[in-house]
Amino acid sequence: MAAKGLDKCFFSLRLLRNLQLRNERLVSTSACRLVDDKFIPPSKPVIIDKTQSVASLRRFLSPEFVPPRQRTNPLKFSIERKDMIRRRKVLNIPEFYIGSILAVSMADPHASGKANRFVGICIQRGGKGLGATFVLRNIINNQGVEICYELYSPRIQSVEVLKLEKRLDDNLMYLRDALPEYSTVDPDMKPVPFSPTGEVPVNNIKVRMRPKPWSKRWERPKFNVQGIRFDLCLTPEKMEHAQKWAEPWREYDMLKEYDTSKLEEHLLDEFQQEMSK
Amino acid sequence: MRLTLRALISHGRVARKMGLGPESRINMLRNILTGLVRHERIETTTARADEVRFYAEKLVDYAKRGDTDEKAMKMASFWLTEKDLVPKLFNVLAPRFETHSKGYTRMARLPNRENLDRAKMAVLEYKGNPFPPLYPVKKDNELTLINQLLRGYREDRAQQLATKA
Repeated sequence: MAAKGLDKCFFSLRLLRNLQLRNERLVSTSACRLVDDKFIPPSKPVIIDKTQSVASLRRFLSPEFVPPRQRTNPLKFSIERKDMIRRRKVLNIPEFYIGSILAVSMADPHASGKANRFVGICIQRGGKGLGATFVLRNIINNQGVEICYELYSPRIQSVEVLKLEKRLDDNLMYLRDALPEYSTVDPDMKPVPFSPTGEVPVNNIKVRMRPKPWSKRWERPKFNVQGIRFDLCLTPEKMEHAQKWAEPWREYDMLKEYDTSKLEEHLLDEFQQEMSK
Repeated sequence: MRLTLRALISHGRVARKMGLGPESRINMLRNILTGLVRHERIETTTARADEVRFYAEKLVDYAKRGDTDEKAMKMASFWLTEKDLVPKLFNVLAPRFETHSKGYTRMARLPNRENLDRAKMAVLEYKGNPFPPLYPVKKDNELTLINQLLRGYREDRAQQLATKA
């Protein structure tokens, strides 16, 4: 009892003397054990970033929030969005585009450490709502590997963006037929810092392809591929022959148009409101 | 249960198959739409009228954007094969429907075609056209006995109310 009282006064004396961090920490932990039964953690410093205003932050709405044009009840989509936001509050899913390099760690009972990590380029983002997926591609030991992850799967433990950038297309499936150097990503890559304000950098790379045959006829206008160097692999006659499948009336067909700009704004506001709660 | 024509189209596919293929379908619809803009009331088969109805309304929406809008001009020049109708679209039809937000067209069924095919016919018109109305308002005959008696009753009541007040 007397010893406890002595320790207490020693603790206060030492704090007054402003000792080094190690000693302070030792003292504080030992003192806490003695002073209180409950552990009170030190208060976290609150960082208020006054350099960037809220307005300048890049507003990004993930594409799986935009409901497709269907005959289903909009109630289904609003309930799904609520569930998506609930999941996002637990797991931080950053903004990323096709062509950005991501590292995903997923829970796996058979892997050592119970989680496996995969790094790759995002080549496709599909699905709407809770079933939204993204495909990451990488070449490991000269073998091309593509893994399709579901964004809202409970097995996913973390999604980190190592390099944020956009490409010229929304679908990089042609990387399967491109030279392997364009799909290789170093698994131990360090994350490239990017700012949350301003434009996303667009990588205007034009990819070189392997000799034909390809898995799909990427030269045809229906794929609308901008990011391939066709002049190296196809003759101008072949390019003209591919234009036979052009369908020029498609851009004037008003039935195919789906203008989502107003819907997207509305959804973005709703999303930001819900996330800030 | 939706009993409209759209319900018959399978599995959410909104566009019907017409003609020889998608290009032929668009060309056919273009011709019908040009005829509609020129004459403002046309009769075709029901399926074609239903397809054109959507495009006609969307064309008016584009025309409302104005002459100077590049996309609107491209759409108008694509869809109207007779180019003298492009000014008519922008200067006559667009101002006419300025107050309406949607529903610029009216479709009504007609008796089947007299040919061997007995096809279902429909008439499609832009509202506000100069022709007599499709559903004529039938006025009761004032000179029948009952109507004359009712008229007399109405006038007596009006007189009584006027003397009371």
